[in-house]
Amino acid sequence: MKKQEIERLVEIEKRIKEIAEESGLLTTEIAFEVTTAQRVLEGMAYEFPVNFSHWTFGRDYEKYRTIYEHTGTGIPYEQVWNFDKPKAFLVETNPFALNVLVIAHVYGHVDFFLANRYLKHGRSFSNVVEEARNASKRFKEYEAHYGQKEVEKVIDAGMSIQWHQNPDPFFEEQDEEVVRGRLMSLERAKLERFEDLKSKFKKPETKEEVAQIEKRLEKLTTKTPPEPTYDILNYIIKKSPKPLKPWMVDVLTVIRNQARSLAPNRKTKGLNEGWATYWHVKIMRRLFKDGLITPEEHGIFNDFHSSITQENKAGFNWYRIYLALFENIKERWDKGQFGRDYEEEKNVFKHSRWDTAAGLGNQKIFEVRSFYSDRMAVEELFTDEFIREQQLYIWMGMSGENGEVIYIIAEDDPEVIREILKEQFTYYGVPLVRVENGNHNSQNHLLLKHVWNGYDLDSKYMNATLEKIHYLWGGKVFLETRVENKETIVTFDYNNKKKK
Amino acid sequence: MSIIVTEPVTERGRKDARRHREKQREAIIDKLPEIIADESIITRKGNKIIKIPIRSIDLPHFRPKTEGESEGIGQGEGQPGDVIGHRPGQGKPGEPGQEPGQEPGVDYIETEVDIEEIIELMLEDLGLPKLEEKEVKELIVELGFKIGGIVRSGSWPLLDRRATSQEGMKRFWSLLEALRTETGLDELICFNALKQAEGLLEKAVEILKQNQVTLKESAITPFPIFEAGDLRYREIQQDTENQSNAVIIAMMDVSGSMGDMKKYLARAMLFWLVAFLRKLYKNVEIRFIIHHSTAKLVDEDNFFRTGESGGTNCYTAYELANSLIDTEYPTNRWNVYVWHFSDGEDFSPDRTIEELEKLIDKKVNMIGYGEVQPDADPNLFKNNRSELWEKFKNYFTLKEVHDNGLGLAEGEKDLPLLCIRLMEREHILPALKAFLRKDRWTQ
Repeated sequence: MKKQEIERLVEIEKRIKEIAEESGLLTTEIAFEVTTAQRVLEGMAYEFPVNFSHWTFGRDYEKYRTIYEHTGTGIPYEQVWNFDKPKAFLVETNPFALNVLVIAHVYGHVDFFLANRYLKHGRSFSNVVEEARNASKRFKEYEAHYGQKEVEKVIDAGMSIQWHQNPDPFFEEQDEEVVRGRLMSLERAKLERFEDLKSKFKKPETKEEVAQIEKRLEKLTTKTPPEPTYDILNYIIKKSPKPLKPWMVDVLTVIRNQARSLAPNRKTKGLNEGWATYWHVKIMRRLFKDGLITPEEHGIFNDFHSSITQENKAGFNWYRIYLALFENIKERWDKGQFGRDYEEEKNVFKHSRWDTAAGLGNQKIFEVRSFYSDRMAVEELFTDEFIREQQLYIWMGMSGENGEVIYIIAEDDPEVIREILKEQFTYYGVPLVRVENGNHNSQNHLLLKHVWNGYDLDSKYMNATLEKIHYLWGGKVFLETRVENKETIVTFDYNNKKKK
Repeated sequence: MSIIVTEPVTERGRKDARRHREKQREAIIDKLPEIIADESIITRKGNKIIKIPIRSIDLPHFRPKTEGESEGIGQGEGQPGDVIGHRPGQGKPGEPGQEPGQEPGVDYIETEVDIEEIIELMLEDLGLPKLEEKEVKELIVELGFKIGGIVRSGSWPLLDRRATSQEGMKRFWSLLEALRTETGLDELICFNALKQAEGLLEKAVEILKQNQVTLKESAITPFPIFEAGDLRYREIQQDTENQSNAVIIAMMDVSGSMGDMKKYLARAMLFWLVAFLRKLYKNVEIRFIIHHSTAKLVDEDNFFRTGESGGTNCYTAYELANSLIDTEYPTNRWNVYVWHFSDGEDFSPDRTIEELEKLIDKKVNMIGYGEVQPDADPNLFKNNRSELWEKFKNYFTLKEVHDNGLGLAEGEKDLPLLCIRLMEREHILPALKAFLRKDRWTQ
């Protein structure tokens, strides 16, 4: 990038910040780094500016690079991190107008980072960026010391279960003894209720109940975990009888922390991209009006904007759909198209022409950006009208002749689409699996339970994952799951033999 | 505001991508038994690149099972039932035919692999000694004369001016250096003296000692100095090439039924054997013998096509192989591999053993005896030996091992014989491996 261009970019960035602040966006000091496309591709693949070495990152890097180099699509036009001091990349070979667009877009993201409660929470764990940078050095030392293959085994195993966290992102894992104490005092409180009654009046059922509570209390004194936990990696780190060496604990802890800090991003990806897109459009228009970018540059911006937001007949384009969502919310709340009166209006014309000039659109979109996750947005804001207007549908592949596969539209009922999206944004393809018992059979076996919610587990993946868990646990691993409507326990034992 | 320009770029992405590719190679090795048994590879002519669909290598994780075909969310015009795209069928499931991102489909990475590479991977997987390390019988072929190396004596017309002048220059620099260390004087002065002395070292020392340097060159311009032995001549050599030859003598019992599977197993074994031997030897030939009660030489097509009824005399094939070696493929010039495919039936096994011993005495490289029974009950097959098999086993005191229906029998280390009982495609790779391993370690 030429020096003049950089100077001009600095000027424009100042103005963008002003516009953002005037519009009510939260801002902070953002570090923009002008760098190569390769570096940005690396950033995309490694999740952090500098992260430890792993073949999955290499695989993704190669994939992004191939798409970038061979198809020209997938231009790595932005990469911004949710840090206390946000950091973003600008690609030196991108057209000037595209870099301006990126700065505008990044200001949208940064506001979202600063305001959205999920992303605030994502920053609260630890300084994961520094941690990633330092981890990359430490892991290298581990590789030199214990061998690359050994370190890889631990990383592989840790990453294969890293997304198994408590489904509630605000849930705080507590120390096992604290949980035990809490559960036991709950049970004791129940006992106390019965003690008020004179023993001679006790009904047999009451006696039975008391006995049960006492049994539970007895069990609770040694039970591990005292209550089931979804944070499998955390449990393994703390309790594995393998035993894990200190360096292994370090590796697994880094992986767990990274996943925890990234999870909020996954839960808000749609709204975040929609919000940034919504604001880059506004900011770019403003810059053009102010004469800070030329008509030609504005044209280049428009081309990029429409390629980013183009419709995907076989996919869910976050940029397009969530941009449309914010526009839709703005319009509805400006016109007062919400609440009981509006929803219960039976007259079709009155309903569709409803406009109370409420003017609440801006307030509402800021509220959504502060408090919503993607799942909440789908539940509350993906109305039938919106889904129809967006022409969303479910497609399916059907086998044709000679192995040909034909893709057809299978369903366009908004209700069904909403349900599918809701589910996607609840679990992100991660089935609920929790640790039931870390001392199963009183032999330190690990018992996991798959909380069945409509889908069996893919058995090939399941067995391979159990193998990874077995590696970390060092002893037998059991998984309670459901296979074709039958409760089943899958075992993975020492001899690497899978049994049912 | 901070816009920082930084120096690129770490190599981490490339390094980790290499590790991913290594893992892909490992995945290919895991798939070798299927690849080796793939009929489309064996029957293809010409094109040596094959395509192997491998799922992009993924970390295991718990994930929901998806039933049958794919599904997903999309956006655009259309009603339920409308077609939004298709993926052309290519006979095999999972072969992609779509643009990335725009069409639905399974995330497959299709890797192109050269057959050569597969063979390399197999050798690597086998842990075989490096190919070069094995002594192969080589034949020296005389091609005529050629100008070869450089020698110190020869006739004047063969003087190599370039090589000679190089020697002269070397001499110049070494004399100059010697002069400098001898007198401790400046290099330029030494040069002037050496030039004045016309390259004679002693004379130059004299000039310097007498302080009689009259020449005043301002820079060192080296000139060649020749002494006896600095002249270089070109050499005339006999031009030869080391040729290594191998022949596979493939024999097949065509009496009785020749099922497709049986032919296929034989064909696959031979295909890969030829491919391997081509890596070992410059020239590989293959000859085909079929037999029932008598044996005859045929071409490849007839080898796989013929089926006749009648008695079975295996020795006739071995006899023919012996005479073929005597007349066309003497073992001092040829590396000979003999393969016999049979169903184990033989009217005169004693004579077969006699002929087999003759082959061994001739020092052929390896003899493979393959009993092919694709339709047999594995348990029966395991316990049921053919008469010929039993004879081989007892006569040569072979040890038997079994693995999933594949039976292998071999004798002493230096006995170039491997007997294999195979039933199905999956046996091809382990059988081949055993054969090659035996071949490598026999000598």
